[in-house]
Amino acid sequence: MKDFWSRFAANSGGVIGLVLLVLIVAVAVLAPMIFPNNPWKMVGRPFVPPFDNMKFMLGTDTVGRDVAAGLAHGARVSLLVGLVSTLAALLIGIPMGALAGYFGGWVDDVLMRITEFFQTVPSFALAIVIVAIFQPSVVSITLAIGIVSWPPVARLVRGEVMSLRRREYVEAAILQGLSAPAIILRQVLPNAISPIIVMASLMVASAILLESSLSFLGLGDPNLMSWGYMIGAARTVIRQAWWLSLFPGVAIVLTVLALNLIGESLNDALNPRLSRRRS
Amino acid sequence: MKILSRVLARLLKAAIVLLAILVLNFLLIHSAPGDPAAVMAGEAGATDDLFLQQLREKFGLDQPLYVQLWKYISDVARLDLGFSYRQQMPVLDLILDRLPATLLLTGTAFVVSLVLGVLAGVLAAGRVGKWSDTLISTIALVFYATPLFWAALMGVLLFSVTLGWLPPFGYETVGSGFTGLRRALDIAEHLVLPALSLGLFFMAVYSRMTRASMLEVSQMDFVKTARAKGLAAPVIERRHILRNALLPIVTLAGLQAGQLVGGAVLTETVFAWPGIGRLMFEALAQRDYNVLLGVFFVSAAMVIVFNLITDLVYGIVDPRIRAQ
Amino acid sequence: MKNIIAAVVASFLTFGPALADPVTGGRANVVIQPEPPSLMLGLVQNAPTQQVAGNIYEGLLRYDAKLNPMPSLAKSWEVSADGLTYTFHLEQDVKWHDGQPFSADDVVFTADVFLRQSHPRFRAILAHVDTITAPDANTVVFTLKSPFGPFINAFEVGTMPIVPKHIYEGTDFATNPANNAPVGTGPFKFGEWQKGSFIKLVKNTDYWDEGKPYLDEIYWHVIPDAASRAVAYETGQIDILPAGSVENFDIPRIAALDNTCMTEAGWELFAPQSWIWLNNRQGPTASKEFRQAIMYAIDREFIRDALFNGLGKISNGPFAATTKYNDTAIAPYPFDPAKARELVKASGYKGEVLKFVPMPYGETWMRLAEVVKQNLADVGVNVDIVSTDVAGWNQRLSDWDYDLSTTYLYQYGDPALGVSRTYVSSNIAKGSPWNNVEGYANPGVDAQFDRGAGTIDQAVRTEAYAAVQKQLVEDVPNAWLLDLGMPTIMRCNVKDLITTSIGLNDGFKNAYIEK
Repeated sequence: MKDFWSRFAANSGGVIGLVLLVLIVAVAVLAPMIFPNNPWKMVGRPFVPPFDNMKFMLGTDTVGRDVAAGLAHGARVSLLVGLVSTLAALLIGIPMGALAGYFGGWVDDVLMRITEFFQTVPSFALAIVIVAIFQPSVVSITLAIGIVSWPPVARLVRGEVMSLRRREYVEAAILQGLSAPAIILRQVLPNAISPIIVMASLMVASAILLESSLSFLGLGDPNLMSWGYMIGAARTVIRQAWWLSLFPGVAIVLTVLALNLIGESLNDALNPRLSRRRS
Repeated sequence: MKILSRVLARLLKAAIVLLAILVLNFLLIHSAPGDPAAVMAGEAGATDDLFLQQLREKFGLDQPLYVQLWKYISDVARLDLGFSYRQQMPVLDLILDRLPATLLLTGTAFVVSLVLGVLAGVLAAGRVGKWSDTLISTIALVFYATPLFWAALMGVLLFSVTLGWLPPFGYETVGSGFTGLRRALDIAEHLVLPALSLGLFFMAVYSRMTRASMLEVSQMDFVKTARAKGLAAPVIERRHILRNALLPIVTLAGLQAGQLVGGAVLTETVFAWPGIGRLMFEALAQRDYNVLLGVFFVSAAMVIVFNLITDLVYGIVDPRIRAQ
Repeated sequence: MKNIIAAVVASFLTFGPALADPVTGGRANVVIQPEPPSLMLGLVQNAPTQQVAGNIYEGLLRYDAKLNPMPSLAKSWEVSADGLTYTFHLEQDVKWHDGQPFSADDVVFTADVFLRQSHPRFRAILAHVDTITAPDANTVVFTLKSPFGPFINAFEVGTMPIVPKHIYEGTDFATNPANNAPVGTGPFKFGEWQKGSFIKLVKNTDYWDEGKPYLDEIYWHVIPDAASRAVAYETGQIDILPAGSVENFDIPRIAALDNTCMTEAGWELFAPQSWIWLNNRQGPTASKEFRQAIMYAIDREFIRDALFNGLGKISNGPFAATTKYNDTAIAPYPFDPAKARELVKASGYKGEVLKFVPMPYGETWMRLAEVVKQNLADVGVNVDIVSTDVAGWNQRLSDWDYDLSTTYLYQYGDPALGVSRTYVSSNIAKGSPWNNVEGYANPGVDAQFDRGAGTIDQAVRTEAYAAVQKQLVEDVPNAWLLDLGMPTIMRCNVKDLITTSIGLNDGFKNAYIEK
């Protein structure tokens, strides 16, 4: 562990990313305490510029909602969608990859065809279609992001499992008569976990980007204040009220940046050998 | 012969994937609430049963779903992508009409991002730890974290509205009557902002990847051997490192090239670029099933073609694969 | 004298052009949003089609800002005293764009055959018509089964666009190749359509109204993004922004630009009114107290000022303020959250969550839904917004699968054409988002609507519609929001663009651009 930390900390970017992320998570967690009002509540005059009225540090939006409150509450949504959709992608991708890599043969063939299928469909377009059809809500958005982002996970896990499969300790376990699920779960996956963690941290970042893109196109959850929604709603007034799209935009960039920095450092710390191939 | 049978096997697999894509999308799209008849009636601001019935009959939507699916699949097998309900023209014409604009946009973005990205990556890798490396890496990271539509909006705000250097949207100056070189210049002018904002992200990806890949390869034994042999640094860099470092980039470029067609929805929307990304988004809202399916079909076919090309390029870059 | 002459007025008397001489030549660059599915106005009547095709096709009549009829293809007309016979005398020497002569046969074919098959709104009007005949090449006579008050308002180009018989007779209208290059009698001819980019119309040099039009060509630009449309105007690529082409938030900024004029004229006939559909059948919204509570809870002044830039009027009931029979004595429901809270309690509301399916027509309407949700939350009513696209929204309204929804509808110059459809019980039917979607049924209201429609006696109509308004305002079948202001923005040197009560939809016949 200590070793891990020292390797992680060797990359100053990772430390910066971690500090940033901790701050963002803190804001997200504390949002209901800092801004007890519902972020949709119209609390002031519309279009109050930032730093003008100390009650609304970051100004108000088109109908007089507090931008700062929106940002804080939006952090919860962006992080949540990013995390949950990544989990969804992992839940699909890991079993697919593990089964394909472990069994090989026709299982591998079929599962890889399915993976190929999802890599052949233009992913953003597919996400748009899924969200539009199941109607925009946090569930459909999370699901859509999960569905379009699992194939790389499956490929990664498949590769790892394939190489681990031939290791002596796995062969030994097979000879001992352990069942395939037990071997996969207990022997193989734990040893493949580092690259998965690295990939997951990067996936959270791209999920947040994807969610903001969907919201920008008007496909966000209408009941949840998210950064993507805020930019989408602000783009029509971008010239009257630059702050409305600037602040949530910066929030997205910082969060995604933080996650990427962390992902890179994790990479360096967890698998120095494999790392560089997948940045 | 071996290559031929390999290509044939690939094509067969590709055909199966394409078929699956068509069927899945067909079912997905038909499960969406509302149908094109209802949308068109809705837009007219007045409707009655007769009107809806006429439209549905005309579009063949009164048939059972499996009949429609079978008809669609057999049409596509004959390369007939059907008829757009809304635009009143064959889907293939519609797509071919819009495809050049999309290919121009995404192709430019692709080439620009690839060239600049790889250059920046090589530059950074050659100066590891120096300030120029830090600068390039930081810029790449920020681009990598910037939402595309946001970059596009800021670009319009700065270069079109504030500075007035570039046209804010569109494919060319409508009604200008430009021809030949003048027209090409006009289109090029319109192309700058969309291509740049579309390319930024990939530029970042390529530069990061090139840098990482170069660094990795330079640690490998054969490079050490080359150094030990006393070969000049630029020669090593070019012949040994770059060539091998390019492999993952070729893979990624192949992936990106495949997504060229489907990946430009956002850019085309912000810049009013008359391409097929926008066509797809509009068709979705209009429930113009055939158009939507057609766009998916063409983009998926592109992915498959580019995957094949990637394989071939791979063979050129890495002779080991050709031998397999 | 059996017939009374209702109106025989030459157009230059009612609508004198500006004092300066019109300038000939030039091009108008206009935004069209969204791209129309077709320009064949007889087959497709959605808003963008009407805007472009109103230059290609013409109706028998046009209407001034007070909704009085003016000549168009009909140069004069008479209505019999019993309100049953309408006789139109047509312009002579009118030619179709393909050079063929226009005659009364075209009008009969259009009304009796073509539109009967293709135009749902006109079909409803035809239900009152007994016969349509052409006694000679320049005369058309409509006889009605019974008097129908609004009939004289049914001849504008969108309701009854005259189409060429020689091209369509005996063909499958929907697949006729002429649909792609429409042939009309209007001041402009179809030029070119680059899908996804622009539609070009060119001057009809053979136009029957000598000396017109003035412009050489019109370009309708397809620009799918509202912000891009605004930029297009600013950078000079666009001269005219029809209502709805830029987001409302952008209007004050654009209107303040140099050489920029804004007008709300040209929408008097349509008089769009917005409201919240309340599902009268089920849930809390089935209670009258609850529906009244919603009227008191919504801050419509804030909505108008913050979302519509102060344009439009707070509705005092189901009749838009600019229409003839609006009862000005009725005061709009005031914004009164306390009263709303009381009524909510009285209605027996137990905290059910209402499904709100807002109209997906752009940012303003989404913000409006968010404001309404917040207004209702403030009086203790829980609302969940369901986001859909146009198809999904249509579907939900058509299936009555909603508690609240927003919309706006045209009133078409007469309560019998544009208002009664929303409230009469005979118009309750699944399958359309434009009928009595809320499911309000009141025999008294039905009877008064019938009385108002079935006569041309103004006094009777006024009385019947006053009774209707009184009852509806009490029952609140829908929560009326605003009589919408529809601003057209253009360069100030574009002259005589809007000369009738349907504005741009009547085409660029009189428009010219000063240098």
